[in-house]
Amino acid sequence: MSKFSIEQKTNGSTEVFYLKGFLDAHTAPELESAIATAIEAGQHRLVVNFNDLEYISSAGLGVFMVFIEEVRATGGDIKLTAMKQKVFTVFDLLGFPMLFDITEKEEEALAKFSA
Amino acid sequence: MSKTDSFTQERLTASGDTTELERIRQFVQDKAREFGFSEQNIHKIALAVDEACSNLIRHAYQLDDSKEFFVDISPDNDDTLVIEILDNGTAFDPLTVPVPDLNQYAAQHRKGGFGVHIIRMVMDAVEYFPADPSHQMNRLKLVKRLL
Repeated sequence: MSKFSIEQKTNGSTEVFYLKGFLDAHTAPELESAIATAIEAGQHRLVVNFNDLEYISSAGLGVFMVFIEEVRATGGDIKLTAMKQKVFTVFDLLGFPMLFDITEKEEEALAKFSA
Repeated sequence: MSKTDSFTQERLTASGDTTELERIRQFVQDKAREFGFSEQNIHKIALAVDEACSNLIRHAYQLDDSKEFFVDISPDNDDTLVIEILDNGTAFDPLTVPVPDLNQYAAQHRKGGFGVHIIRMVMDAVEYFPADPSHQMNRLKLVKRLL
């Protein structure tokens, strides 16, 4: 039984990842693999929707650090959206809002790519 | 009756496997809730213990699930919770880890090194005691006060 799952949807030229459950040192490799696969397939506009994510530790945050420079170098980005307060707290503790584009709603993140 | 009467030290034994993190968080959350912490602080305490145990499992124990460590929780007076993580790995003082520089880490594609910073930010005190002739295990002590 997995306590973490990822669903993906392609929205135009943007790949949206829907995270659910608990993202920790045990489940982070699954997310890293999913993002790596999308990037290898040529996708560089990524949105990560945290609406159904209940918990994140620094192992989860580290996944975004691995890829952010790579996607930005090709004109893309990883935009993060719809975090619960508890999840945002962890990003905020480490100063991630300075480095990452974090929006309240998925539509805002998607709109930024098409702007 | 004071908390120290009803709340005695409890120990969770865990192995060097990241699947243990969920059980560890649950154990810590239950005890922190029983002690009277707010939901916000229960989350922070469980996060700090998760970070410490993640580092221990991945680095000191190299994901070796035959190795065990302990998470001890005990009250210190009525207003302070003490969590101690005891391990048999190579001694490593997490307090020597520098504060991460996000831009530099991103440029280096680094995904680790944040856990210790989180622990220091959310706990009131953090101390590390490497094993010595009188203490067989390394001990990381995390302290959180109710107010």
